[in-house]
Amino acid sequence: MSAILSVDRISKSFGAVAALQDVSLTLQAGEIRALCGENGAGKSTLVKILMGIERPDTGSIAIDGTSVAIRSPSQAQALGLAQVAQELSVIPSLSVLDNIWLGSAQVPLLHRRRAFRQRAQDALARIGAGHYDLDRQAGTLSIGECQMVEIARLMVRDARVLILDEPTATLSDTEIEAIFAAVRALKAEGRSIIYITHRMGEVFSLCDSVSVFRNGRHIVTKPVDDVDRAGLIEMMLGRSFEDMYLCRQQGATGRPALAVENLGVPGVVHGFSMTVPRGRLVCIAGQVGSGAHTVLRALAGLELATGRVSVDDRPLRLNSAPRARAQGIHFISENRAAEGIFGRMSVADNVIATRLPAASRLGLLSWPRLRREAARLIRDAGVDERRLGSMIGDLSGGNQQKILFGRAIGQTPGVLLMNEPTRGVDVGARAEIYRLMRSFCEQGFGLVMTSTDLEEIVGVADIVLTIYRGRLIGRYEKEAITMNAILTDITHPPALTRNGINEAAAAS
Amino acid sequence: MPLLHLLSPYRRPAAVFAAVLVLLLILDGGRGDLLGSSLLFSLFQMFGTVGPVALGVGLTMLIGEFDLSVAGMVGMAGCIAVMTGGDNPWLGLLIAVGIGLAAGVLQGWLMTRLKLSSIGVTLGGLLIFFGISYALTESRSIEYPNLDVADVLGRKLVGFLSIPSLVAVGLYVVVALVFGMTKLGRDLIAVGSDRRAAVSAGVPANALVIATFGFSGALAALCGTLLGYSLASAAPTGLANVLVPATTAAILGGVSLAGGTGRPGGIALGALTICLLQAGLNALGMSSYAHEILVGLVMLTIAILDGSRFSIRIDELRLSLRRS
Amino acid sequence: MSQSGTITAPAAAGGTRPGVRWGSLAMLVLRSVFLVALFGIALASPGFLSTANLMAMMTSAAFVGCVAIGMTLITVGGNIMSFSLGATVSATTLVFVGALLAWGILPAILVSLLFGMLVALAQGLVIGWFGANPIVVSIAAFALIIGIAPWSTAGTSLFLPAGAGQEVLRGKLLGLPIEFILLIGLAVLGQFLLSFTVFGRNLLMVGSSRWAAEAAGIRAWRTVAGSYLWAGLFAAVAGMLLASRYSKGNMDYGATFDYDAITAVIVGGTAIQGGRGSILRTMIGVLVIEVTRVVLLLNGFRQEWQYLISGVIILSVILLQTTVARK
Ligand SMILES: Nc1ncnc2c1ncn2[C@@H]1O[C@H](COP(=O)(O)OP(=O)(O)OP(=O)(O)O)[C@@H](O)[C@H]1O
Ligand SMILES: [Mg+2]
Repeated sequence: MSAILSVDRISKSFGAVAALQDVSLTLQAGEIRALCGENGAGKSTLVKILMGIERPDTGSIAIDGTSVAIRSPSQAQALGLAQVAQELSVIPSLSVLDNIWLGSAQVPLLHRRRAFRQRAQDALARIGAGHYDLDRQAGTLSIGECQMVEIARLMVRDARVLILDEPTATLSDTEIEAIFAAVRALKAEGRSIIYITHRMGEVFSLCDSVSVFRNGRHIVTKPVDDVDRAGLIEMMLGRSFEDMYLCRQQGATGRPALAVENLGVPGVVHGFSMTVPRGRLVCIAGQVGSGAHTVLRALAGLELATGRVSVDDRPLRLNSAPRARAQGIHFISENRAAEGIFGRMSVADNVIATRLPAASRLGLLSWPRLRREAARLIRDAGVDERRLGSMIGDLSGGNQQKILFGRAIGQTPGVLLMNEPTRGVDVGARAEIYRLMRSFCEQGFGLVMTSTDLEEIVGVADIVLTIYRGRLIGRYEKEAITMNAILTDITHPPALTRNGINEAAAAS
Repeated sequence: MPLLHLLSPYRRPAAVFAAVLVLLLILDGGRGDLLGSSLLFSLFQMFGTVGPVALGVGLTMLIGEFDLSVAGMVGMAGCIAVMTGGDNPWLGLLIAVGIGLAAGVLQGWLMTRLKLSSIGVTLGGLLIFFGISYALTESRSIEYPNLDVADVLGRKLVGFLSIPSLVAVGLYVVVALVFGMTKLGRDLIAVGSDRRAAVSAGVPANALVIATFGFSGALAALCGTLLGYSLASAAPTGLANVLVPATTAAILGGVSLAGGTGRPGGIALGALTICLLQAGLNALGMSSYAHEILVGLVMLTIAILDGSRFSIRIDELRLSLRRS
Repeated sequence: MSQSGTITAPAAAGGTRPGVRWGSLAMLVLRSVFLVALFGIALASPGFLSTANLMAMMTSAAFVGCVAIGMTLITVGGNIMSFSLGATVSATTLVFVGALLAWGILPAILVSLLFGMLVALAQGLVIGWFGANPIVVSIAAFALIIGIAPWSTAGTSLFLPAGAGQEVLRGKLLGLPIEFILLIGLAVLGQFLLSFTVFGRNLLMVGSSRWAAEAAGIRAWRTVAGSYLWAGLFAAVAGMLLASRYSKGNMDYGATFDYDAITAVIVGGTAIQGGRGSILRTMIGVLVIEVTRVVLLLNGFRQEWQYLISGVIILSVILLQTTVARK
């Protein structure tokens, strides 16, 4: 085997932030290399440098042993590099076909050719998405489907080095399996793959070797066979690491924090009912597009919905986010950048966003009080107090998420609704977020989260509800929570009974 | 489902156009003033002025930017062409359009190179072009000696068209073809809806932005030149403000300020709608006040029906009606 | 350094990113040099410090300044700009004169303020509630105002006889023109709204990300409507001041105010995308524009060169400002 790509002593700083320092790597032909590291370790920055989107401050890159300067994405493409970017890069107003060929140098000026249709179709079929309609507007696809389109874009590029930056964060297990198969096939053709992920399981099931990054430095590269899970996490964090998941909440529960009866969102959710006891973490498990996210959005007042909902036995009027907020419902969106943070504002402004009325008299704010409050909240959320004045956009994904959790701290008793709370969050921060969730449980909150990560669901949930095509399938508690049962429910549920609940599960 | 959201980007401008036509026919009340022989001609005369500018502004809006400077460019180009094209109108046209192109490219280059907002840069451009046209003409109105040119430009061709309107129609046809058949159209839409995504997919976004601003500048200059020649004079303030009708035309045509939506064909329909409204109200002999009021009402209605939350509000209403 | 009331962290916070601090310091120096140079030239210009000139400057800055305060609120809230504030100013001059002739000064002031607020509020509601495009709505409102207002006065100007009561709004207080004092008062009020009220903070959040604001339980439509309400109020003040100064109500007065105001907002460095900005910065923008104009005038530049040079100066300030914002 020969080195297809080698990166030599690359450094890159943004202002005072050293995103990469002296990073050197080599990648062999036919190798699948995992890049691991905490949020902000510099993984995506390396990808951007390889793809010609950012320029390194120092260092050099060589392909097949010849040194190259990559100044633009088109140059990277010509050199045989292709990527799936961390941020979703699908254009909503273009068709699936146009999205797949977007930016490709193979496409001539007059671009509507039959051959391209066929190749796009083949690429989709390869990743198990052959049933997608090429002429459908990408804007009507779900996030997961968009991600598949983007991976198809990678497939048609005919590249020698393929880079996938957290490609599976928004996908469900069946889709992930199909992608893994496609990636393995690419490897068999002698192509090299760089695979970035925060899901430890994927490193071991897909990759040949793993490079660990920490604070902008390349720590080590090893074959995956030589490391175990705990060792890998320890290398990433630079310290030892206890168990990520805490024990389930035991003991009696009080009155239900949230009772949902017959919730409906036209076309997405049908007759969904659940009860969330105080101090418990309920997890709604479902594939992408199953309606799980929509359930929580509807409860937060962000989707038009019908049904009877009560918070602490007080009825909640649906369809208004401000009213939901006033009744103690806190919502954390799956789309942190667009619907969570205020990107152009400071950390402090973000954490107190929902508490202004409480810290004001007659609409006039008391800044000393807000300042104290902000400091307290971010301390309790586990973020360094000195970040109070930073722009929130400069924080890592994990820290941004903790700030969003900070908004709910102390607003007891309440209900916390979380869609994909650990999407794009590294292992270390993930554990801290689980700990935060537990502390909310202890304060008497009722917690509901959705997740597409089965391992996470089995690890953290007190109660699991499964959802398929907008309908409740099963309910599991304690020992009944197993990966197999959940996986069956959310992919091929047994026939629905009349009340919509899987009887075997309901009995447990 | 709400009215206008059902319609695709192509059909929506057509619906708006039809609605305006119906409105005018109702106002006409069967008297037949509206459909007089001159309506089409005056409609297309206006289209000859508004059309090209709307196309340029619309394309800059489509890529998620905004070219305010056309308002100054139309005036400046008119002055330049009238001053340099006395002997040879083609020379004046060439110089004016060349300057328009260069100024647009320069602005595009500034904003991509320095990562500046286009509104800021083109506001500066607007003020400078405005200043240059004052400085060139020393605040006076200047005559264009070559009256034959004005004569030729004002002459009717094929029924209701003239050279300026023919040029505008031709431009739209060419741009619509290029947009629809080559990958340029697809790339422009990508740049407009998500610049970062387009770059990461390999679309040469900066080059497209510069080119679009160059094109917009050239179109505005072309429009100013034709206007100056037809009126046989140019003055720094004499040329009516074209920015507002051009922007309106683009928005009616389905282009949004957020970028990524709209097509050249839609912009053409939008421009025709504006011109129809103006020409129609003129033909009906409306007072200028009534004229303004009607334009305002039509635009307000469209803005509401087209609002991003309109469908949600209707659904909410329906839901609460069903509940009670 | 941002004056929008962003909470600044304890002293240590900046220390974590010294480079950023240094960059903005360099820009601060550059900007200060520019301002010092501009005012240096101003002071060296013949007659700049004459009382008459200073008074005239303060008065004319007040008219555009009032509109620019409202424009800043609209921009900060994520609605880019309005094309109808100038027309609102013009129409208010008519309303004010009409009401003053009919009912006297106090009712006239009330009616004028109410008029401005209602006209703008209607736009704010359409924009906030239906999510209508703010530019189209403001252009439509512009057309409606331009159509309805002169129609009601049959297209003529309205004149105020001497002694009708308008003197209250054009006298002097502490030796300064009342207009200027009012401008300062309104600027302080505007900045106060933005920094110290729930409404102001909500407005910044809605401007930063409307989705995130709604998910956080903020009634975004109300906030947007509120920003227009205030903008209308400020425009109405400008209208009353103009009508009093010239004893006349006329539809031409506010014609260029929209462009002047947005120029002041951008020169001041408020982000056109919304979510960041301050009234005080806009006031600096107004000052820069006004001083530039007067300096050119005093140095005997012909009118046409004034336009050109002020264009160049404004473009360079914009280049300077936006680079600061990006850093
Ligand atoms: N354009 C930028 N401007 C300023 N800082 C940046 C920029 N891009 C990245 N950074 C900073 O560089 C560091 C490395 O970021 P990078 O995106 O490479 O991390 P990552 O390892 O991909 O993290 P994640 O797992 O969250 O994706 C972070 O501290 C980040 O804040
Ligand atoms: Mg990353």
